[in-house]
Amino acid sequence: MKSEKVLIIGGVAAGTKAAAKAKRENPDLKIVVLTKDRHVSYAGCGLPYYLGDVIKEEKELLVKMPEDFLIDYDIEVLTEMEALKIMPEEKTVAVKSLRTGDVQTFAYDKLVLAAGASPFVPPAPGKELGNIVTVRTVTEATAIKNLINTRGIKDAVVVGGGMIGLEVAENLTLKGINTTVVELAPHVLPPYDADVALYVQKYLAEKGIRVLTGTAVKAFEDNGQGDVGVVITEAGPLKADLAVLAVGVRPNVDLAKECGIALGATGAIAVNELMETNIKDIYAVGDCAENTNLITGRPVWYPMGSTANKTGRVAAINLAGTGHKDTMKGVLGTSILKLFELNMGKTGLSERDARALGYDVETVLVTTQDKAHYYPGSHLIVTKLIVDRKTHLVLGGQVYGEGVVDKPVDILVTAISFGATVEQLTKLDLAYAPPFSMAMSSTIVAAHVMINKLQGRFTGVSPLDLKEKMEAGAVLVDVRSDEEFFLRSIPGSINIPLRMLSERAGELDRSKEIIINCKLGLRSYMASLKLKRLGFEKVSILDGGLTAYPFETE
Amino acid sequence: MAEKHINARGLQCPGPIVQIFKEAQNCAAGDILCVEVTDQGFKKDIAAWCKKTKNELLSLEEEGGVIKARIKKG
Ligand SMILES: Cc1cc2nc3c(=O)[nH]c(=O)nc-3n(C[C@H](O)[C@H](O)[C@H](O)COP(=O)(O)OP(=O)(O)OC[C@H]3O[C@@H](n4cnc5c(N)ncnc54)[C@H](O)[C@@H]3O)c2cc1C
Repeated sequence: MKSEKVLIIGGVAAGTKAAAKAKRENPDLKIVVLTKDRHVSYAGCGLPYYLGDVIKEEKELLVKMPEDFLIDYDIEVLTEMEALKIMPEEKTVAVKSLRTGDVQTFAYDKLVLAAGASPFVPPAPGKELGNIVTVRTVTEATAIKNLINTRGIKDAVVVGGGMIGLEVAENLTLKGINTTVVELAPHVLPPYDADVALYVQKYLAEKGIRVLTGTAVKAFEDNGQGDVGVVITEAGPLKADLAVLAVGVRPNVDLAKECGIALGATGAIAVNELMETNIKDIYAVGDCAENTNLITGRPVWYPMGSTANKTGRVAAINLAGTGHKDTMKGVLGTSILKLFELNMGKTGLSERDARALGYDVETVLVTTQDKAHYYPGSHLIVTKLIVDRKTHLVLGGQVYGEGVVDKPVDILVTAISFGATVEQLTKLDLAYAPPFSMAMSSTIVAAHVMINKLQGRFTGVSPLDLKEKMEAGAVLVDVRSDEEFFLRSIPGSINIPLRMLSERAGELDRSKEIIINCKLGLRSYMASLKLKRLGFEKVSILDGGLTAYPFETE
Repeated sequence: MAEKHINARGLQCPGPIVQIFKEAQNCAAGDILCVEVTDQGFKKDIAAWCKKTKNELLSLEEEGGVIKARIKKG
């Protein structure tokens, strides 16, 4: 096979995956990986847990050392080497050693850009003060960890309530630090829908994290020693001896842009399915490259470690010169995270995205057990399904709760990837035994509820619309037992247990909209059928029941 | 003082908490109720119940997915 020179810029997830796979494809390749950082091949996704001491030592995060690559794979990894300029005509790259300052030229036959992404630093005054940090590299995380363990941080402000911001906030809280999250968007986890994200916010509040949404950070103030002391926000000043900036990342594209490599609509490097850029023999992989959304076919940018590994592998196969080809068709925007005992994941389009794209959308929020209710360790989870009313295709899903959510999310990923309708979802031969699942798994139950809704068997009310409806005169009837109602209820609701509904239906005003609520949703559905048989016309159900209700109860 | 054991394992909400309501009616002040439950929602429910009914939650433990609560009737 051809013994070409492959130069890879960036040595974390995508770069090292591309290098290792290319070498396995074609052992005759001469592969050099250059990276600015001191560390390569590290577990960036593990950094929040390193801060919280779930991961104790730095070395646990380092998947491989530079010398391992030489010994194990015959790949040369050069750290603290910054690529300055690409010269596509000569097929060379000017590279500066950050240790010596020397600039050298590296020649290539195939070039892979795996330069990743960098945290965005908002241009707020005072952002240069000490103890204002970003969490992207091992070096940064170790510095924060040392700060926490030696200086005794009491109050922290996390700017940005996305996945990284919340994971960091969780871990700071576990270290006993009084933590506030400030988010500009109307809710945390902006890619998720509001009903789901508000539930997460309620949960975080119960865990002692203060969350300020719709709030901009205006400035950082000095504590008198050059370090941050106060974070000034639109909602007032917040005491802070640590401020973590987690307002999102931007693709590292300067090198590419300067040498004429085209960027896509999202600002990341445009690539085709082979991970090739517009310039011959130059590939882009991982966070610096653009993706395609599999559902819409539109360019998107989802900088995920899972995708970085896949795109690195695809480029490696295509550049190795074996004649084999592989393609990356796109992604669904899948993500998952854990905050304390709460798990949440999403895939596909959110309800908000789907509506913005013009789909005729139907949604359900369905609360079920994650495994047989009588099997110790079973928990409730909520499945939000988003379906196209015209085609019944599953467009997206969000699953959350203290139980197992990764399985249902991955079922939905698979279903959407293969173009499943909600009807097809109901017949999947999913694995079942009590310790793992329910005989009708959460995803199948959610699909059935969706079909009932699509067929007009019931009308749902989103918890987000409940208040407005009640203000307009709707009556919220809670059909749980009086004991359950006594313990917790939605303000303004009245209690008529399901068993007494037929006798007591006369208490309800037929001219008003009746919204029924229970714990999960099943009793509400049965109550709605009962009331309809009794001649009530305006009956609907609170989607997700009390369990998914994202606001205060009493 | 009497100690009463309730096995509410396998019962789904509202089962466990309804049992507590019932049993508590037959207890005298100072009696201890020990409950075993597999419904995870019970953890929140029992805390809310004790608060609202002025009974004392002596302990709440979880082992292998089984929740054990000890309650002193107030
Ligand atoms: C705290 C945190 C948690 C995360 N959690 C998850 C998760 O749970 N799941 C998930 O899928 N993803 C997660 N991610 C995202 C994931 O880490 C990234 O998608 C992944 O690291 C991308 O890999 P990459 O190789 O494309 O880029 P990067 O990891 O950004 O690596 C690029 C490397 O290139 C180097 N470089 C850049 N420019 C040059 C240059 N000019 N010359 C030389 N070297 C250069 C950089 O210094 C860097 O070392 C998380 C990220 C963070 C920060």
